[in-house]
Amino acid sequence: MEIIGADIILKTLMEEGVEVIFGYPGANTLPIHDRLMNSPIRHYLMRHEQAAAHAADGYARATGKVGVCLATSGPGATNLVTGIATAYMDSTPMVALTAQVSTSLLGQDAFQETDIIGITMPITKHSYQVHNVNNLVSTLRNAFELAKTGRPGPVLVDIPRDILASKCDPAEETSVSALKTNGKVAESEEQIEKIAKSLNQSERPIIIIGGGIKLSNSFHLMRALIEKAKIPFVTTMMGIGSVDAANGYSLGLIGTHGNELANSIVHQCDFILAVGTRFSDRSTALIEEFAPLAKIAQIDIDPTSIGKSIKINLPYIGDINEALTALLPLIDEKEKSDWLQRIHTEQEDIEKKLSGGGCGEAGNFIRMVQEAMPKETTVVADVGLNQIWTVRTWKAHSPRSLITSGGMGTMGFSLPAAIGAQVGTPEKAVVAISGDGGFYMNIQELATIGYYNLPIKIIIINNGHLGMIKQIQDLFYSSRFNTIDLGTKVDLVAVARGFGIPGSRITVNENPRTGIEEMVNTDGPYVLEAMVDPENYVYPIIPPGCSNIEMIHDRLD
Amino acid sequence: MLRKMREQEQTISILVSNQPGVLSRVANVFGRHGYNIKSLCVAETTNPEVSRITLTSESDPDFTEKIKKQLEKLVDVVEVSDLTGPSYIQREMMLIGVPVMKQEIHSDILRAIEMFGCRIVTMSPDYYVLEITGLQDETAAVLKYFQPFGVREMNRTGSIALLRHLSKNISQ
Repeated sequence: MEIIGADIILKTLMEEGVEVIFGYPGANTLPIHDRLMNSPIRHYLMRHEQAAAHAADGYARATGKVGVCLATSGPGATNLVTGIATAYMDSTPMVALTAQVSTSLLGQDAFQETDIIGITMPITKHSYQVHNVNNLVSTLRNAFELAKTGRPGPVLVDIPRDILASKCDPAEETSVSALKTNGKVAESEEQIEKIAKSLNQSERPIIIIGGGIKLSNSFHLMRALIEKAKIPFVTTMMGIGSVDAANGYSLGLIGTHGNELANSIVHQCDFILAVGTRFSDRSTALIEEFAPLAKIAQIDIDPTSIGKSIKINLPYIGDINEALTALLPLIDEKEKSDWLQRIHTEQEDIEKKLSGGGCGEAGNFIRMVQEAMPKETTVVADVGLNQIWTVRTWKAHSPRSLITSGGMGTMGFSLPAAIGAQVGTPEKAVVAISGDGGFYMNIQELATIGYYNLPIKIIIINNGHLGMIKQIQDLFYSSRFNTIDLGTKVDLVAVARGFGIPGSRITVNENPRTGIEEMVNTDGPYVLEAMVDPENYVYPIIPPGCSNIEMIHDRLD
Repeated sequence: MLRKMREQEQTISILVSNQPGVLSRVANVFGRHGYNIKSLCVAETTNPEVSRITLTSESDPDFTEKIKKQLEKLVDVVEVSDLTGPSYIQREMMLIGVPVMKQEIHSDILRAIEMFGCRIVTMSPDYYVLEITGLQDETAAVLKYFQPFGVREMNRTGSIALLRHLSKNISQ
């Protein structure tokens, strides 16, 4: 068999360590899908290209490797868009491969032609269209390098069909010059010394952990820093699980749906060490009133993330791992301080006030699910109330064990991302938690799960409504409910059965344990439909336009 | 825009790889942040793999710093520098076409040409095409002067700029 462009792609992917592609064929991808038969790379056939992108994303988040998805030109490529944008917002390393119409047809509105480079420009780190088969290797190498270095993110490579199919002599490979690499900006040691000095001198310090700790594999350093200086920490949505929340220093999640303790302590602290976070609007709420007493040091590899929304006193642009390695020996070892005692007292007060962590019966149910599952379980949360219930109640013991769409807030993410997580970590149990709304958005992936018999435990917390929107309408739109009622006529257990997956329906305040037990004791995938009260909201919540300490505790606030 | 305060004209030079689609990535960064590009000039540098985009935009200095960081993230961008300020010489070129309706205004036009230091690119008994090079304020003043004569056509390049002194760094 002659070597063609498609062979070169698969060989380069192998050399980049790719074991799995999530994809969907079309006429223009066929050279690749044909040659995949000769390759050890496994191809998972999804039921929608959006799901292929989310699965690659979930795979990358669960393993730390680059996720790869593949779609055909035209609608295949445009269906990837939501998945690429989701990966971009949460800085997931991903390479999206799209087939394109042949170079001779480019720009002619050929069948299934679309300008996917133009469409994805604002949601990728970079994109390439390959016009010469001899450039394939170096283009793909650049794409992988770019996806995983610096602040990671998705890179798209668009390959016309004739390039995929054209004969290729590996001796004629040419390299596409990367005019610049994702250069490391080395900040001075002096800046680290300043940060250390400020931290050592502060009386009420806290650490904000963002997604960058996971992306830079700096879990151990961060834990060592927290334990040495005995500093309490809060996390952003993306930072959850980076450091075991049960180590005694965790204050929980900050932001509009965060824990009251976390938000209150950030408001009182006099020093913030922010690591791998971009101070998004969801974390800070009203930016003018965020942490009014604090001097802020920020460590991030992305220069645009520093000082984007908030003034930073001590910026450090660079690799988190290197920064923390330099910082750790300069930090004074401390005894438990008055500050920790004050936090502890406040924590007790809040717990008295807010039974069940503010997540009601749904939160208790999720706690029961975690207790029934093995310790090394990965949970993939969707978006909406189910997401907040999950991130607030699930104790993430290890860094990659809680996956959710933070920046983009993509409903329908959990089911396909769980596929990616399960494929990437077959030794671990995977639970996908979604609401009924999000579940409908990628419901077709039940077919993929059933086909590959992936043992994912799928939990649908069903309140028959778009719960988070319902809560907002209830609290901030004078209870004028509209366009949020999904109804409960659909028998989701029967739907699951139709896809070849067993399941059961329970009501969380009646018989939760029976359903959980059956789910845990069933080999392979299982759908557990858990009915909850539509009034089971999340509290506290920060109203739009308010600061992090102006929390509402119930509808009468 | 909400950011009207302290806005002033900034001249930015962006060295980019000389490839299709690069200009649209650069323009996207401005558009996405709600900033208008007032003038734009693109040309190859002494290195044929590198082009220089020189553009002017009205924004506050803080924003120039932020947009510089955003531009530097683009893979195709090699270097971004701010060419605003007295250390830089700025020039733009403008071509204007002036019809000569009445014979008696010939002498007025010729006097103005001499005074402004314009060059006559082409002329016929009823039409002049003039070339003017200078600061944007100067080309604007020339345009304003000739408007009463009925400027038929006008085209300007937008500003380009260069460091006034010998640079210690080797530039493109």
